[in-house]
Amino acid sequence: MFRPIATMAAGALALAFAMAGPALAQSVAVITPYLAQPGTQFYVDGFTAEAEAKGWDVNVVDTAGDVAAVISRIEDAVTQSVDAIVINVDPAQVEAGLQSAADAGIPVVGMDAGSHPLLATNVTSNGYAMAAETAVYVANRIGGEGRVVMFVFDAFPPVQIRGVIADAVFANHPDIEVIDRITPDVQDGGIADSRARMEALLAANPEAGSIDAVWAAWDQPALGALQAIEDAGRADEGIVIVGMDANPQARDAIAAGGNFEASMAQDFVGIGARAADAVERLVNGEELRQSVIYVPTKLITAANVDEQ
Amino acid sequence: MAVITLFRRYGTLIGFFAIIGFFAWQLPDTFVTPRNLINVSQQISMLAVVAFTMTIVMVMGDFDLSVGSMASLAGVVAAVLFAQGFPVWAGVAAALAVGLVGGLANGFLVSIIGILPFVATLGTLTILSGVAFVVSDGRTIFGRDIPSAFSGFARSGISLEPVGLAGLSLPWLTVIALIVLFIVWFVLEQTIYGRRLYAIGGNREAAKLAGVKVKRLRMSAFALTGLGAAIAGLMYASRVASANPTQGSGLMLDAIAAVFVGMTMSEEGEPRVLATLVGVLILGILDNGLTQMAVDSYVREILVGGIVVAAVAFSSLSKQTR
Repeated sequence: MFRPIATMAAGALALAFAMAGPALAQSVAVITPYLAQPGTQFYVDGFTAEAEAKGWDVNVVDTAGDVAAVISRIEDAVTQSVDAIVINVDPAQVEAGLQSAADAGIPVVGMDAGSHPLLATNVTSNGYAMAAETAVYVANRIGGEGRVVMFVFDAFPPVQIRGVIADAVFANHPDIEVIDRITPDVQDGGIADSRARMEALLAANPEAGSIDAVWAAWDQPALGALQAIEDAGRADEGIVIVGMDANPQARDAIAAGGNFEASMAQDFVGIGARAADAVERLVNGEELRQSVIYVPTKLITAANVDEQ
Repeated sequence: MAVITLFRRYGTLIGFFAIIGFFAWQLPDTFVTPRNLINVSQQISMLAVVAFTMTIVMVMGDFDLSVGSMASLAGVVAAVLFAQGFPVWAGVAAALAVGLVGGLANGFLVSIIGILPFVATLGTLTILSGVAFVVSDGRTIFGRDIPSAFSGFARSGISLEPVGLAGLSLPWLTVIALIVLFIVWFVLEQTIYGRRLYAIGGNREAAKLAGVKVKRLRMSAFALTGLGAAIAGLMYASRVASANPTQGSGLMLDAIAAVFVGMTMSEEGEPRVLATLVGVLILGILDNGLTQMAVDSYVREILVGGIVVAAVAFSSLSKQTR
């Protein structure tokens, strides 16, 4: 009962485009288990807005957390001979589905999905560049000298690459000393344990000015460190804290104008829109050389935290 | 009167064929094709195994809420052992042992201690889920930790070239589901053991007075359901080439729904494993067909839930008129 309407709409659009040029209405399946998560919703909104502007027929499928069902739905989309498939899930876990798409010659594009040989490309944010920006922010803010605490998580590849870059930036400043490189326990989300670890470090470095900055690879440890510093009554020592991802809690802290000074915002809507561009190039027969396409990110400070 | 009997008996089956007919009409080129039907068989294989073995306890009027967590735990146990360098057979054997032991524990709580199945298995659901988090450290185990022999299993099958379907193969996951179906059918329908389970479901006291060892049978039935959940968990882990502590959680409600839909097909409202198969097929075909028709995911859920309720309601109404 839905099909005739969709077909009619697609047909009308195809007609409109046929008059304008050679483009045809493409049918694209967007498949994710994570639609209920805010980030994913932004990707999908960005994608659908761009796709609608291009006159495509988009089917968004949410498998409500079920990764095996993503494989099933990819197979169904392949059966339906869609023109392209977009996924937002770890490609290694849905390889069986990617293989069936590859066998049918249907391109699959990842939206912040991770790289995989069977993906035509993956559109995401550049973790290296994000880490460089916050690390350089810290280095400049403390005048290239001081004692820095790092919060890292090397077990998770997307976060590990952030730590590597911050290491390099700090190592390149001879007067910056990294006094601790902490991997917090993230079972509870990361704030509580980071706070405890920071409290211990503050106790070990009681003199004012003995810690100049906290660089965190994501926002939760930065928030934990902020709580520890404020509760220890050392908020006025000028300890600079930076996080990453600019989640709402971090934005509030940055807006408050305290120690938490900066974070990086990913352009989720932009990732969705660029994924649509990648799909367009693929269905036009172009071969994408970039196995990863990066969408610019933005440094968030008190100056621009209220934007958007 | 005869028409009513016909509908009471075959209403669900008629509905099932109506659904197939509808999709065949709406999707003339892509629905009733060998490739798509083989896809569907593979897509439903994990749910099918859980539902078939769930039928065993439901025959006695019991049910097991812990199958989803058990499936997750089995996958995680195997994956953790793989990550530590154990061979595939060892990981699989350990996971199946966990399923059997977990099922026995359910059976012990229900039949020996005498806790209501709903409460007992709700408790073990939570315990098993917690254990799965502890064993996996809350992480998804994937990539090089999962041997290719294990993940490759779900991507291969028996070639169908000899029967004229070149390029297609019957997936191993489908084969496993068929084997489990046969075993459960044989056990329930062809053995004294199965008859006794139905006797317990009919009237537990009467069965006991007739000399049926009710406690022992209930315990063993729960063990089989736990084992089935573990098999499904391994199938799931193989299909996604990874394991995380929550991935099986969606299986439980769908399995119970499939058995309930199946129960509408028997005159006495008893669970029959072949009827459960129809229930599973209805759920799987709806998912496949509605996705192909590009029906919104959330609307799809409403439709699937509505059809399950409608099937049971129809059957219940037609029984009242008798």
